[in-house]
Amino acid sequence: MKTLFIFLIILVTLSLSAYAEEDSLKQEVEAMKATLGELRATVTSQSRTIEAQEKRIKELERTNAKVPQAPAPMLFATTPRSSASTTSLSALNPEIGVVGDVVASLSENSADTEGNDRLSLRELELVFGHPVDPYSRFDATISFSDSENPSLEEAYITHWGLPGGVKARLGRIRPKIGKASSLHRDSLDTVDDPLVVQKYFGTDGLSRTAAELSAFLPLPWEAVTHELTAGIMEGGVGESATLFGATRRRPSFYSHLKNFWDISDITNFELGATHLVGSKDADSGYEVNALGVDATLTHYVTPSNKLKIQGEAYFQHRDETDPTLGNNPLGFYTLVDYRLSPRFGVGGRFDYVELVDNPTTSPRDADTAYTGYVTLYQSEFTRWRAEYQHVEFAAGDNDERVFLQGTVAIGVHKHQLQ
Amino acid sequence: MKKIIRFGMITGGLILLGVVPHNVSAAPLKVVTTLSTFADLVKTIGGEDVVVSYVASPKFNPHFIEPKPSDVLKIKRADLFVHAGLDLELWRGPLLDAAGNREVMPGGSRELDLSRGISLLEVPDHPVSRAEGDIHIYGNPHYWLNPENAKVMAQAIAAKLSELDPQHTATYDERMRAWTRQLDQKVTEWENRMAPLRGRELVGYHNSWPYLMGFAGLTMRQYLEPKPGIPPTPKQVEFIEGYIRQNKISAIVQESFFPKDASEAVSRRTGAKVILLCQSVWEVPEATDYIAMVEYNVAQLIKGLKP
Repeated sequence: MKTLFIFLIILVTLSLSAYAEEDSLKQEVEAMKATLGELRATVTSQSRTIEAQEKRIKELERTNAKVPQAPAPMLFATTPRSSASTTSLSALNPEIGVVGDVVASLSENSADTEGNDRLSLRELELVFGHPVDPYSRFDATISFSDSENPSLEEAYITHWGLPGGVKARLGRIRPKIGKASSLHRDSLDTVDDPLVVQKYFGTDGLSRTAAELSAFLPLPWEAVTHELTAGIMEGGVGESATLFGATRRRPSFYSHLKNFWDISDITNFELGATHLVGSKDADSGYEVNALGVDATLTHYVTPSNKLKIQGEAYFQHRDETDPTLGNNPLGFYTLVDYRLSPRFGVGGRFDYVELVDNPTTSPRDADTAYTGYVTLYQSEFTRWRAEYQHVEFAAGDNDERVFLQGTVAIGVHKHQLQ
Repeated sequence: MKKIIRFGMITGGLILLGVVPHNVSAAPLKVVTTLSTFADLVKTIGGEDVVVSYVASPKFNPHFIEPKPSDVLKIKRADLFVHAGLDLELWRGPLLDAAGNREVMPGGSRELDLSRGISLLEVPDHPVSRAEGDIHIYGNPHYWLNPENAKVMAQAIAAKLSELDPQHTATYDERMRAWTRQLDQKVTEWENRMAPLRGRELVGYHNSWPYLMGFAGLTMRQYLEPKPGIPPTPKQVEFIEGYIRQNKISAIVQESFFPKDASEAVSRRTGAKVILLCQSVWEVPEATDYIAMVEYNVAQLIKGLKP
């Protein structure tokens, strides 16, 4: 009995080890199958390449023998060349672009400020950019002008390697706030920024040193895309702006939610919301809250005729201590832009902005402006624009302005997607 | 301080929502292509093993597309990104930068540049500048319009799909071979039908057609655009009218997404017919797939050139 028991134990042990061996063998077979599959794919791919090349050679020989070749324009070489041959060391150099923005203006305003009754090189932007490594890219824009000192408009690193597809930007950036403020002036539909952007964020929009995160929200529906951006930026605002105080020490915070509807191949609609929190002075309080709403409808009447209707509004809540200043100023603009043809576009904009520093005793509640413009697109890289603007200031006086603008770009000129 | 904490909690919570990982490698393969023609080829070879979408609507000029946030999201989640390479899609770089999907960026393991292996035409043999218009510095990028090149592209697509999804290698290969056989038959038929037209010359609106012209044995030397990408000027239109009369040219080739005013005006004054050719699958109702697109172009050429 004892012997039988020992025999059974040995048998069971052997069986288990045999099973274990069988499992291991199965795994090896599976691994070999996978390797074989990969090898088969490689061999198939290479055979196809050889087959295609042989066929191509025969075809070319046949074509050359029979068919008169279409003579190519003298500008070009007729020798076929593989696209792989375009790779060279120069590919590692940064992409460099230059954007020039020349503006001539006439105004009834007698003040000798930038752009009044003069022809100026308003901006010359030097744009650099290149991937840094597989995880990041660096972009910089240095701005020169004939009336101001050179300035660093943008210099930031974009980092893609964060979990869940979150993208980060760090450095001097144009924060994602609304629509117009985050654009360079050469990308605007008009000569200048909307008044609400000029008065609240800066004459040339907002450009601050910041850390910004953005991510697409993984919501189940596909027709609408949601992108959330949040950031912290140095205090202060742009030139001549009043949303926050001038001190740079106390940071401001912002967030933007973009909701984008693909209505059809030719129509889309974007609705965005922006929230800003900042300080109006040097103390430790955060007295300013601003809520922004932006909406853009784009419709292609034909592939060459594009209609854009855009609006953007900002509502502020300020803890003002001065009783002569309002606590809830607001401002907005509406813009209609129509591309008549590949060469011409027309448009108009209405501006309304209640000034932060406008005393309640002022003759008018707000600055308002009516703008009309015509754009000639000479080519993809040169644009001419004539613009007329009628402005009614809160202080009571009016101004009539005429602008002529020429914008040219050379080199690599990439714009971020809007 | 309360305002900052509240702000941080709301935005932080929403950002965290975005951090929730999505399943990138779930089958079927999610393939995004720049052009609808490439999407059609990928679907033909990938069948039910792939889900395909494209960025550029076939109704628009593929050089100047404005990618949308939904396109960025598609690229971000793509298992494979298929594009024309070269400098056709000027919007491709900003789109990839916005998406930040490293695997589909140039040189990435999930990127397929279909220009690789194609014999390019009109590669500049001298330093170029924008003075020559929207010049293509690597050569003319409209290579998919020659069916012989489409075979190379189909092979590249099958190889890439097999590389990413080895389990279906045999299926991809089988579909590619079946499609190539079908295309070969059509190529012979198209060549026979177009044989009487060989050597004829046409005028174009934009220089999109050297590969199709080479396949058809036709020539195209002059364009309504005085330089690539520059809309027709009165002087150029006048020159083209004279050129058509002098060389007895019977047709002007027009893309569907460019304005037709100049072509039609020249047509009225010279009697040359306007032939509408398509560059992309689904650009016109007849172009329901790649073979149908070439069939449409061949039929249009024959119709436009016959006396």
